[in-house]
Amino acid sequence: MTPLQFEKNHSATWAELEALLDRLDGLKPVKKPKRGEPALPPVDGARMTALYRRSCEHLALAQARAYPIHLTQRLETLTQRGHRLIYRQHDYGLARLKQLVLVDFPQSVRGHRWYLLAATLLFLVPMLAIGWATYRDPGFVLHLMDADEVQNFDSMYGDSDRSIGQQRRASTDWQMFGYYIQHNIGIGFQCFASGLFWGLGSVFYLVFNGQSIGAVAGYLTARGYTETFYSFVVTHSAFELTAIVLSGAAGLRLGHALLSPGRRTRLESLKHAAKDAITVVYGVMGMLLIAAAVEAFWSSARWVAPGVKYGVGATCWALVIAYLGWQGRPARSPHAD
Amino acid sequence: MSLDTLYTAETPEGIALSLRPAGVMPRSLAYLIDAGIRLVIFFIAALIARPMGGVGSAFLMILYFALEWFYPVVFELTRSGATPGKRMMGLHVVMDSGLPITPAASITRNLLRAADFLPMGYAAGMLSMLTRRDFKRLGDLAAGTLVVYHQTVQLHGVPPPAPAMPPARQLSPKEQAAIVSWAGRSARLTPARLDELAVIAASVTRPDAGVNARGEHDATRRLQGVAQWLLGHRPGGGSP
Repeated sequence: MTPLQFEKNHSATWAELEALLDRLDGLKPVKKPKRGEPALPPVDGARMTALYRRSCEHLALAQARAYPIHLTQRLETLTQRGHRLIYRQHDYGLARLKQLVLVDFPQSVRGHRWYLLAATLLFLVPMLAIGWATYRDPGFVLHLMDADEVQNFDSMYGDSDRSIGQQRRASTDWQMFGYYIQHNIGIGFQCFASGLFWGLGSVFYLVFNGQSIGAVAGYLTARGYTETFYSFVVTHSAFELTAIVLSGAAGLRLGHALLSPGRRTRLESLKHAAKDAITVVYGVMGMLLIAAAVEAFWSSARWVAPGVKYGVGATCWALVIAYLGWQGRPARSPHAD
Repeated sequence: MSLDTLYTAETPEGIALSLRPAGVMPRSLAYLIDAGIRLVIFFIAALIARPMGGVGSAFLMILYFALEWFYPVVFELTRSGATPGKRMMGLHVVMDSGLPITPAASITRNLLRAADFLPMGYAAGMLSMLTRRDFKRLGDLAAGTLVVYHQTVQLHGVPPPAPAMPPARQLSPKEQAAIVSWAGRSARLTPARLDELAVIAASVTRPDAGVNARGEHDATRRLQGVAQWLLGHRPGGGSP
């Protein structure tokens, strides 16, 4: 068969597919039917896939028979556009979100349990060590922070009337909400992303955040501002600290995939790890959003008695741990035992 | 080693899609355009939110956060698969299997911008792009995505009409393809270069045919005739 005959026999198929693609991919404006003309019939999906498969066959033939390049290029463009349209994913609605919250996120957290353990240790050990050191000797905090910063903490959590929650109005609450979202979620993302450098970035962020929280907590405890400080942080820390540790764990996963790829190539192993880890990051995002809201509107509320805050905080910690530990496990059938 | 950076991906139908990855320059320009658009959005929002006090500044900070991390994600998941800047540069993002980008991959590649940015000014991303044939930055590597040109460059057109004439001898499939490709580039090559190439292939044409008006042998015209014959035209206008 000569190229001319080939083109003549099949160009009707290609033209039909081209017209369908123009209508569907929405990149070119489609002429609306004028008044009096019948409206365009709805696109028949089966017809479209049939046309697409035939065009694929034609492309393979044209390539194998070395037909002129303008012809193969036309077919290549056509099949490429069809491919993009037909294999597009459609499943990101509310059902997907529900599945993510109820099953996928807690499951993938449990799938990362060793990374989670490592991340927790990287965070907790510096926090406790530095916290103990500053508790023993409050002056130690000056090795880690500026005197200005320390003074700032003093006035925030001290008994002065500039302390946290004392003079805050609703508008400030909102302002802090915005700030916490922008700042804290950003840190969570960076803690994850920098894991790409063989995990080093995540280790850095975990240790760094751990030691600075430990320093502040140790210092304020030593100064005796325990009630102001702990009643402020107890509730949102359930979400915030967990989320930072989780994003660190996801980052460590990336780093580990690069360092020890197993039977895959390093690149394949990284891709595989990223696919798993990103589910954890989705959850981190949600938890940090909750943390920002709690921190802005609840933690700073001075009219709530510290006892109530401790109670709510403990409940939140228990709920978060229970959610991550048990939510989304496959239901055991009642007749299994 | 081939000179071009064509990337082939196989589809479930068993055909090879050729994708053309985009390099550092067009992608940087697209990034700058997007940065400008983000700046304008933020500026307009700031004008509106400024008088609103605390709630307004909360809105601004959340907007800043959203523009920083999710502006590309939102646009990459639209049908065009590209941010406005990429669209202007004729680029879009696909999976490296040639499929449209998935939400997970888009979020992965855009969160990992934070790693590409290090130590400053996207240095890590640039380094990765410059050392790879498919110009992936670190985020693209982890997400398995590729930034490609939307349209391929059209080097070849329809071979120009010429009176069909049969070749002087049997031609191998490779020779046939070469002659047809040569004819397809008639519109883009200078006549002198076209003729120079045609003279090299003079042995496939019949020496007696294709005399032009001034009585000279016209190698280009004859070879174009052979190309037409190979395409299926036959002397006298018919086709077999």
